[in-house]
Amino acid sequence: MDIFIQLLINGLLLGGAYTIISLGLTLIFGVVRVVNFAHGDFLMVGMYLVYLLAAHVGIHPYVGLIPIAVVLFALGALTQKVIIEPLLDSDEHIQIFATVGLSTILLNLALVLFGANVFRASVQTGVSPITVGGFTMVSGQIITFVVAIGLAVLLHLFMHRTYLGRALRAVAQHRYAALLMGVNVKHVYIVAFGLGTAFVGIAAGLLAPQYPVFPTVGTYFVLTAFVIVVLGGMGSLYGAVAGSMIIGVIDTLAGYYIAPDLKEVVYFGIFLLILVVRPNGLFGFGTE
Amino acid sequence: MVKLKKIALAVAACGVLMTTAASADVKVGAVYPFSGALALLGQESYRGLEIAVNEMNKAGGLNGEQITILKADAVDPTQAVSETKRLTSEDVAAVFGSYASGISYAATPVTELAGIPYFELGATAHKITTRGYKYLFRSNPNTGLYGVSVVNALHETIAPGMGMSKDDIVIGIIHEDGPYGTDVAATEKARAAELGYKVAEVLPYSAKTVDLSSLILRLKGADVNVVLHTAYQNDAILFFSQSKAAGFDPKIIIGAGGGYSLADTAKAVGPDMNGVFDLDFPQASINPEGAPGLKDFLSAYKTAYNAEPQSGHSLANYVGAKAFLEAMANAKSTDADKIREAVLAYKKDVGTTANGWAFEFGEDGQNNASTFYLMQWQKDDLVTIAPENLALGKPVFNK
Repeated sequence: MDIFIQLLINGLLLGGAYTIISLGLTLIFGVVRVVNFAHGDFLMVGMYLVYLLAAHVGIHPYVGLIPIAVVLFALGALTQKVIIEPLLDSDEHIQIFATVGLSTILLNLALVLFGANVFRASVQTGVSPITVGGFTMVSGQIITFVVAIGLAVLLHLFMHRTYLGRALRAVAQHRYAALLMGVNVKHVYIVAFGLGTAFVGIAAGLLAPQYPVFPTVGTYFVLTAFVIVVLGGMGSLYGAVAGSMIIGVIDTLAGYYIAPDLKEVVYFGIFLLILVVRPNGLFGFGTE
Repeated sequence: MVKLKKIALAVAACGVLMTTAASADVKVGAVYPFSGALALLGQESYRGLEIAVNEMNKAGGLNGEQITILKADAVDPTQAVSETKRLTSEDVAAVFGSYASGISYAATPVTELAGIPYFELGATAHKITTRGYKYLFRSNPNTGLYGVSVVNALHETIAPGMGMSKDDIVIGIIHEDGPYGTDVAATEKARAAELGYKVAEVLPYSAKTVDLSSLILRLKGADVNVVLHTAYQNDAILFFSQSKAAGFDPKIIIGAGGGYSLADTAKAVGPDMNGVFDLDFPQASINPEGAPGLKDFLSAYKTAYNAEPQSGHSLANYVGAKAFLEAMANAKSTDADKIREAVLAYKKDVGTTANGWAFEFGEDGQNNASTFYLMQWQKDDLVTIAPENLALGKPVFNK
């Protein structure tokens, strides 16, 4: 029983890291309707920035994540403006090719600049284990989890209480109707892409104390984030949170009770099942 | 006038002969990942070959002919096939490679079909040399020996040093689930069973995982106190950081090369890496007295690349390439069958090469005399502790 509860805790905490990444991915998909294959590479860029700030300027990742989120917002907005916007009226697969291309460029750029070496922002906070009632947790994971939930609540408030948030939701529901209602759709797209990318900047800062950084680090997280977003419903914020927790728990339970190398098989199996049984996901809405 | 014409003709003929002689240099292919994710150690491996070739050229070449290397960039198996095909069409006498087992698997059928000798200098997958190929040879030891060496090191050196008897030891074998990890783990399991050790868990995982906490809980739950780990770099780092978080502190950790040999892994893990054992190819930091030619290699490396070797890969490739080039010289021909004969007849004793390896090839083309060395991380340095003639330090048993 103890082990089961420990696994549940580990799973939920892992879900916290997935939540932040998935929120960004689902926001971009929900509003701009682009499957951003470069999302993981933006995470990698963020993690390198965290590493550089920590190793060379001495800025702690938790502090560094604020300017890095701003930089990544700009990168995301730029991607939308320069790469996606000219392709908005093209077929969806052309937009996918564009983000895959961007992903390849970023990955190889990291290889050229940093090589295939593994770096780590060596910090003291965020790595210490904490024991509560016989169960151990890593402080960084708890912080990540709390920030993830906080971000989800903030995003919810932003989407429901502000004009810009309402505009984002309107565009997500029907871009042409929103256009007719006077919403500046192109502007909304840029905000959504920027915001979605800023989320991985925050994730980068939170993950840096726990994970090393190398050119393909982002793809490891984002592959799971794709499963989460499909499970939760593409474009659904609640789905991203619920999906992250579900996949986090499945990951640890399957890793323990089945086999560590089969956990991916288990959740990719779920991924396929959802696609067949409920293509819109748990909280998904139909496409236009 | 006629005489003049004759002289002119003779001069012209000499000219033609001279150009033919110049263009008759021996061409060899080099298949390595020069770009992409494997580029770092791919390039490092190639440097060993390049130094060996330069050295031979400086000493007069291969039976008087200069050797030219044709480089082929193989980032993955598909590219390995197409690039090796290109090399075989360019009339190379032999192909050297390749650092990665996946690339070697893909490139070798191409050379075998073309009847061109292929010299593997670094890829370890056992099955590369068990396919009945006639012109495929490998200088480095393979995964068939890897797990055996790991468990032997535990049995002969580490467990007695720690004062642990067979009954005290509970082994957990964990490995990335690619061919490298799977092959090493299988031989570790078999050897441990042969010697009568208790193996509580054999747990494979994807090297791409971002969470090893459930695997660590299983090791902890099974009271594992000896971990045999075959990993790449980021999964090795993840294992250490998550073990610490989970309060899992095994008495002995033995890595099988990969991430365990890299200085960056130790830097990322920190002080927890000290005391960890590692089995791998010989590194540059071995006793030069047991490795004649090591100093020359290191100075040639420094001159050519203005840096120290980044790992033992360049040295292993240098030693292997040198052996195969010498065998080609002994063959006195670029005929594949004559080269095969010369390679099979090629023999070197322990302690006579720049990394101490001996040479004695089996019919399958595998050098059965090359071995893995035992090392330990001590004060942030990877110190060679066995074999004795190449050791630079003694093992430390109090963690």
